[in-house]
Amino acid sequence: MAERVATTRVHRCLEPGLSLLIGTVDAQGVPATCRAVAVSSDDDLETLTVYVPVATSHTAIQNLATTKRLAVAATHPFTNCATQIKGTSIDARLATEAEAAFVRARVDAFADVLESLGVPRRLTRSVAHWPAFAIRIRVEQVFDQTPGPNAGSRLQ
Amino acid sequence: MSARLSDLSRCFQGVVPSIIATADASGMPNVTYVSQVYFVDERHVALSCQFFNKTRRNLDENAAACAEVLDPVTLQAYRLRMKFLRSEKSGPLFDTMNLRIDAIASQTGMTGIFRLIAADVFEVLSAELVEGFLTEPPQDVPAGVSLAGARTEMRGLQWISERINQATDLESLFTVVLEALEEYFQFSHTSVLLYDETNRRLTTMASRGYGESGIGAEVAMGEGLIGTVARERRLLRLTSLEGDLRYGRAIRRESADRESALAAEIPLPGLPGAQSVLAIPLTVGDRLIGVIAAEDRDPMRFSEWHEAYLGIVANQIALSLDRMIERCNEMADVPVEIFAPLTPVHAAEECQRRVKRRLTYYKNDDAIFVDDEYLIRNIPARILWKVLGESQRTGRTEFSNREMRVDQSLGLPPVKDNLESRLILLKQRLVEKCPDLRIVSTGRGRFALRAEAPIEMIER
Repeated sequence: MAERVATTRVHRCLEPGLSLLIGTVDAQGVPATCRAVAVSSDDDLETLTVYVPVATSHTAIQNLATTKRLAVAATHPFTNCATQIKGTSIDARLATEAEAAFVRARVDAFADVLESLGVPRRLTRSVAHWPAFAIRIRVEQVFDQTPGPNAGSRLQ
Repeated sequence: MSARLSDLSRCFQGVVPSIIATADASGMPNVTYVSQVYFVDERHVALSCQFFNKTRRNLDENAAACAEVLDPVTLQAYRLRMKFLRSEKSGPLFDTMNLRIDAIASQTGMTGIFRLIAADVFEVLSAELVEGFLTEPPQDVPAGVSLAGARTEMRGLQWISERINQATDLESLFTVVLEALEEYFQFSHTSVLLYDETNRRLTTMASRGYGESGIGAEVAMGEGLIGTVARERRLLRLTSLEGDLRYGRAIRRESADRESALAAEIPLPGLPGAQSVLAIPLTVGDRLIGVIAAEDRDPMRFSEWHEAYLGIVANQIALSLDRMIERCNEMADVPVEIFAPLTPVHAAEECQRRVKRRLTYYKNDDAIFVDDEYLIRNIPARILWKVLGESQRTGRTEFSNREMRVDQSLGLPPVKDNLESRLILLKQRLVEKCPDLRIVSTGRGRFALRAEAPIEMIER
C-alpha cells in the first residue's frame, strides 16, 4: 500500500498543470535556479526530459556543462503537493518543432491553473517559454517535497 | 540589469511564492518554493525556517544560495545571489515573521506544528532583473507616493482625526471609524472588535460591507488571524491569504498521520474569497482595547503604506474608544431617580396584533434564542433576560445602567465593565434578529425596552 502511494506520488511530477523549477550548481558550488515549462518521460522515469526557456536558462545550461547536476521540483499550485527529482544530465539540446505542441499544451495547462488562482492570462501569456532547451537527465533520486513533516523523505 | 532591493518591494509581499536554490557539500543542488522572502534592508533579506528541511541542511554545508522573486503586478522575475549569514530565533525580525506564521497556523488548526523555527538572514550579493523572462516589457505602473500624495495623506489624517473626535458616543464612534476607513481608504469590508477581559474574547461590535453584519461574532484570544493579532498586539498584513491557507492545509494533511489531535480549522469570518487581510490591534499602552480588521478579494489591496498610516490612525481610534468607554462607565454611576412611565411606541392593541416572538434562555449555554435562532449570550443575554422579566412582571420599561451594575447576578466585572458596549451589542443584535424588541437610549445612563409584539419568555 505504502509503495503504491509512493509510486503515485512519484508520477505526479509528470502531470500537466504543475509549476516546474530547476536547480543547478557551478563548479564552485554556487547554485542557480530557473523556471521550467514542461517535463516528460517515456521510460517510466528512468530518464526525464526538462524543457527550459532559452531566454532565461543561460546559467543553468552553463552549469550543466560543467557539473551535470540537476534538481527538478514539480509542485501542484492548489495542493502544494510537490516532488523533487535529482539526477545527472545526459544531454541538453534545442527543443525541436515536433516538441513545440507538447510544451505549448503544458504551458497552457499551467496558465489554466494560475488563472483559477487569480493570475490573469495576459500576464502568464507574457512569460517566455519558446524556444526552449530540452535537458535529458538520468533520474537518481525522487523525494517528497510537500510541505510538512514528511518533506524530504525519499520516494524512489 | 541590477536592481535595488527597496525597488522590489512588491516582490517581497508573498503574493507569488519565491524560489530558492541551494547546494549541499557534494555539489548536488536543491530547489524549492518559499512562501515569502522578507525584505530586511538594502543588502539583506530573510527566509522563514519552519522545518529542518533540505534547504536548511544545505545552508549549513554551503552558504551560497540563489533566489528568484516575481513582481505580482508585472510577473517580471528578479534573481538574487545570496550568502546565508545567520539564523535568528528571537528579536524584532523573528517576531514579525512569526506573527504571520502563527496566525496561519492558528487559522488552520496547526498551532505548535506549523511554526517558525528561525528567521534565516542572507546577505544579498547581487539582485538582477531576469532578462528575457517576459516577451514584452512590463507596462508602467504608478510610482510611489508623490508630494501631492503626502499632502493628501496629511489632510486625510486630519479629516479622520476630526471625525473621530466628533463622535458623541461609543456607537457613533464605531460607525465613524468604519465610515472613515471606507471613504478615505476605500476599504469596503471592515469590522471593529472589542476585547472583553472577563472572558478573554473579542466581540464584533460593528461591521461594514458584509451581507450578514456578523455583529456579536466572537473570537477567543489567540485564535485565528484576529485572535493572534490580539494576543501579540501586533499588526498583521496578509497578502495572498488563500495561498497561505493552502500551504497550511498541505502541512496539516501531511501531519495528519503523526498528529492525532490537530485542532479544527477555524472557518474564516466575513468575506468569501478574501485574498488579503489587514488586522490592526487597538492598544493603549500594553492594554488591548480591540482589533480593527479589513478584508479584500484583491491580494495586493493592503500595502506597507497602509500598515504605517493605519498604525497612526489606530492609535487615535484606540485612545478615543478607551476614553469613550471610560466616560460611559463614569456616566453609569450617576444615580437615576426618576423612571419614565411606560411609553410603548405602538398602542397596546397594535402590539398584541403582531406575531408573538418566543425568547428562550438556555441556562447551561447562557444564551438566548429568538424563536429558533441564536440571539445573544453571556452578560448581554443576562441583561436582556433581567429587563424582560422585570418588564413582564411590573410593566416597567425604563432602566438605568446603575441598576445593571449593582445587580451581581449579571456578572459584570467590578471595574471597566464595558456596560455601554454590551448594551450596544445587545441593541444591534435585536435590530438584526428581533426588530420587534428594541433597546433605546433615553438619556444619560438610561435605556428603555420597547416591545412591539407580544413576547413569550421560556427558560430551560
